[in-house]
Amino acid sequence: MSSAIETVREVTGGEYKWGFTTPVEEETAPPGLNEDIIRMISKKKGEPDWLTAWRLEAYRRWQAMEEPKWAKVHYPPIDFQAISYFAAPKQKERPKSLDDIDPEIRRTYEKLGIPIREQEILAGVAVDYVFDSVSVATTFKQKLEELGIIFCSISEAVRDHPELVRKYLGTVVPPGDNFYAALNSAVFTDGSFVYVPKGVRCPMELSTYFRINAAGTGQFERTLIIADEGSYVSYLEGCTAPMRDENQLHAAVVELIALDEAEIKYSTVQNWYPGDKDGKGGIYNFVTKRGLCKGRRSKISWTQVETGSAITWKYPSCILQGEESVGEFYSVAVTNNHQQADTGTKMVHIGKRTRSRIVSKGIAAGRSNNTYRGLVKIMRGAEGARNYTQCDSLLIGDRCGAHTVPYIEVRNRSAVAEHEATTSKISDDQLFYCRSRGISEEDAVALIVNGFCREVMDELPMEFAVEARKLLGISLEGSVG
Amino acid sequence: MARARTVLPDPSYEELFTRARNRLPGSQLPELAELRRQAWRRVCEIGLPTSRVEEWKYTSILGRVQKALPLLEATAPPLEQLKAAFAGGVEARRLIFVNGRLVPELSHTGGLPDGMAITSLERLAARQPERLAALTRPAEEEGSAFAWLNAAFWTSGAVVELAAGVRPQAPLQLLFFQDAREQAGMTHPRLVVRLGPGARLHLIESHLGEGEAGQWVNLVGAVELGEGAELVHEVMQAPPQSATLLARSRIQLAAGARLVRNIASLGGGLVRNETEVHLCGSGAEALLNGLYMPMEREHVDQFVRVHHEQPGCHSDQFFKGIVGGKARAVFAGRIMVYRDAQKTNAYQANNNLLLSDEAEVDTKPELEIFADDVKCSHGATVGALDPSALFYLRARGLPQAVAESLLTYAFAGEVLERVVDPHLRGQMARRVLDRVPGGGALEAEGLV
Amino acid sequence: MALLEIEDLRARVEGKEILKGVSLSLEAGEVHAIMGPNGSGKSTLAYVLAGRDGYEVTGGAVRFLGEDLLAMEPEERAAAGLFLAMQYPVEIPGVSNMYFLRQALNALRKARGEEEVKPGEFLKQVRAAAELLGMPQELLKRDINVGFSGGEKKRNEILQLAVLEPRLAVLDETDSGLDIDALKTVAQGVNRLRGGERAFLIITHYQRLLNHIVPDRVHVMVDGRILRSGGKELALELEERGYEGFAGKAA
Repeated sequence: MSSAIETVREVTGGEYKWGFTTPVEEETAPPGLNEDIIRMISKKKGEPDWLTAWRLEAYRRWQAMEEPKWAKVHYPPIDFQAISYFAAPKQKERPKSLDDIDPEIRRTYEKLGIPIREQEILAGVAVDYVFDSVSVATTFKQKLEELGIIFCSISEAVRDHPELVRKYLGTVVPPGDNFYAALNSAVFTDGSFVYVPKGVRCPMELSTYFRINAAGTGQFERTLIIADEGSYVSYLEGCTAPMRDENQLHAAVVELIALDEAEIKYSTVQNWYPGDKDGKGGIYNFVTKRGLCKGRRSKISWTQVETGSAITWKYPSCILQGEESVGEFYSVAVTNNHQQADTGTKMVHIGKRTRSRIVSKGIAAGRSNNTYRGLVKIMRGAEGARNYTQCDSLLIGDRCGAHTVPYIEVRNRSAVAEHEATTSKISDDQLFYCRSRGISEEDAVALIVNGFCREVMDELPMEFAVEARKLLGISLEGSVG
Repeated sequence: MARARTVLPDPSYEELFTRARNRLPGSQLPELAELRRQAWRRVCEIGLPTSRVEEWKYTSILGRVQKALPLLEATAPPLEQLKAAFAGGVEARRLIFVNGRLVPELSHTGGLPDGMAITSLERLAARQPERLAALTRPAEEEGSAFAWLNAAFWTSGAVVELAAGVRPQAPLQLLFFQDAREQAGMTHPRLVVRLGPGARLHLIESHLGEGEAGQWVNLVGAVELGEGAELVHEVMQAPPQSATLLARSRIQLAAGARLVRNIASLGGGLVRNETEVHLCGSGAEALLNGLYMPMEREHVDQFVRVHHEQPGCHSDQFFKGIVGGKARAVFAGRIMVYRDAQKTNAYQANNNLLLSDEAEVDTKPELEIFADDVKCSHGATVGALDPSALFYLRARGLPQAVAESLLTYAFAGEVLERVVDPHLRGQMARRVLDRVPGGGALEAEGLV
Repeated sequence: MALLEIEDLRARVEGKEILKGVSLSLEAGEVHAIMGPNGSGKSTLAYVLAGRDGYEVTGGAVRFLGEDLLAMEPEERAAAGLFLAMQYPVEIPGVSNMYFLRQALNALRKARGEEEVKPGEFLKQVRAAAELLGMPQELLKRDINVGFSGGEKKRNEILQLAVLEPRLAVLDETDSGLDIDALKTVAQGVNRLRGGERAFLIITHYQRLLNHIVPDRVHVMVDGRILRSGGKELALELEERGYEGFAGKAA
């Protein structure tokens, strides 16, 4: 068994290792956004009229909205008319079997370490592969169908399960929710759809791997996961992008719905291209993720390891509506060089005896800024609600910033909300201790940081914990010494 | 379309300014007149905050201040009430402001030690007008419209100066009485406190009053502590419920200076304290303790920012709130550690107790850290009384209601016990008991 | 060639001279003790040997296996075979003892051009060492030193010593804060690791540890210098007369 740290060193030499581009012929919409482009996207995807109308309505709302400015992130204005809103590898139709996939795309995923195969390292994981604006493959569909589980791209879901999509789409994140959600609602291209029927425990991890490849495009995926009564599903998303000097926009929307006694575990290992060490290029990651604990005793748990993107603006949230429902947020956010992250969660307690737990670990290095921003809101009717929040920040070097901005709003006297936060650095004592045992300084930092994050890392599905642990080490390379 | 975050002051302000500016203190001095005009322009530029301004997210003040009110005049206040608020002991010196205007006849500033001076701004306007502009000009980066509004409209105020090493034994009390029995209006008093190196002062500030007429007090304080100076500043705010009190303090500490600030907000329809502490020299220390107890429809907002600008400073914020009725309490405390402020120790705790189903607490304890070798932490809690403590008391034979009252009082007591002046502490305790449900019974049974 | 050769070593901490010319020579297989009162510079010597930041060498030389020890980074010293059992072992939350130890062992092996240790073999090795020291298996899984008692921390240091198998182990006040039973266990562990080529430099304030780990030589350090060196009987003499009488006589 080789140690994670060693592997990192061998594989990467300290660079972003997912930054290559794939020479595949793509069909790209002309830059710009207007009603015609939206109609074009909708038509290309063969969508029903109601969805085209829904998109147009979102677009009209978006036009009346302004970009949010409250986050602690700074970037030049985005020209939304300069972005292409659709890019897809040229293919006549979606391949019938996994063997028919364009070899270039196949190679891409192999290089990324997630081969399009139903075997070997990913034997316990079903994967939906999203390449720029479209889903190119989904593994293990058959096996899942036998259990009544629907796992497919959202485009297929619109076609094959319109009643489910229509019933739930936009119910957790309405099209007018915020600027980026409205934009996404207007132009979303693909993403994953999951439905787990009553009483079914999904036997494998479901995963979507997002890859931005084309230049000058944005990615606007939309994910919708519905866990019916008493069901369970664990879902994971991963993402990477080529190294480009330009900034690319990623504005996703994820909606989760958990009915009575259902549980959804949603994990993210976010590794979009962060830009180079001088802050050039990188993905702008403006994402709206929200889960609705609709049923009693339902549970939604978000786990995120955020190491990529030039800018991260992301607050996976839980609306705890069902009585005794539970929301969890476990987060590790690492920023280095010129990265900026403003991330956290919202826990809205509506139902009686609802509980939430927030564990956030922020690590800032280089000249980066890392902000935790979170809201705990306990409504008048949320009798006996409980929240516990722990936010820890670690600073590496004296040119970075770590910030904690919690909002706690309580309107019920029987509720209890507790928030604790600390800020510290890696102590010289710890570093020396590791080094005196033979571990190099850089490996010692990775080791200590991994320890600092362990509570969160332990929440990740096994298959991805190792990968995530490596990522932490890579992200911080060059931050000491 | 962007929704407006701030709004222009109502034209009534402009009218008032035009009408009053030739009668305001120091108006004969061109420099000061110009400063007032500048300040007024800044108010218009910044605008008055709506709740869409982040710093005002939980407090809407616009309805109370958007229209100009007449500038308040001093009255003959009820002396018994004034006397009841005296604190600091028989030796204490005292400045009494009625409706925001310093009343020399009621004040007592005689026999000050050498090197200590207390002067009213009005008197300075007559005798040393050249000093006024410097004493009333807000910092250039000042972003609060209310600070500029004060600079434009102030009518009264005091300057307290201690030369190096001067350490008067007796406390100085500033007593603000709002006589709202007949007069509605606004007032913009101003305080300047300057302690030379090694000087020490115990400053007590009391706010109270009577009456139903709506009054708005926009108090601005500028405090500077020289190297190694020490200020104990204790504040009790208990104006009538008809009153709006906005108290903004900017406190600068040089190296090795020490500030202890104990503040209890125990009355007033809307009270907002804005405390900005700048630790500008290494080794400076600031201890900020606060208690707030809004009841009925009262609203209290504690807005605290501690700026760690230099290395090796220490700050500790300890704020507790008890909220009943339909009241709302807001705490927004921020620790800011600047790039050079290595070896900072900064702590912040905010604990809240909700007594009713219609009360609300909004707390926002923030850290903003740009230096790595620091120890900073904060904690915030909102909740009900500790059930195990309640059980313990009941197991010892106390009825539930009494046990609840006792624990509620004890919750406040943790702040009260830090108050240095026994008279003031007694006055605060009295008001806390009045506000704790069943507090009277506690007292009657000799439990407190 | 001596295993460790310290020559007129001088060092400063925060601008203050602590070591004022220490010379010492230690052969493979030997056990030396350095005794001295608080503030004499014993722990400073240990940290200087291990290469801790903030300990500024202002003069002299240290050769370890013929190499210039002072020119090496801390991890290079460890790879060369130097181990420091610390007086105050550091806590590292979230990192398990076992994981840490395996990282350390593999780092050492890699630096020496050896293969990584096989998981099964490693496990056996650690378990054996834990047994030797009477350490509960459960402590192996816990985070490094987090929530350990004083005695457990010290035992954990010796466990690392046993697994990492250094050429020279410096024990910095390993006896401090131990009750008599823990002291015996730790001493037993050290004694079993003695023999062969491995050498020990035991730094202690009290003689009692030396009842259990009998040294070949004893050095008395006072005010940054070694005042006297002798056989194990020197420790007893010191115990009897105290440092004060001793220092007085030497002066």
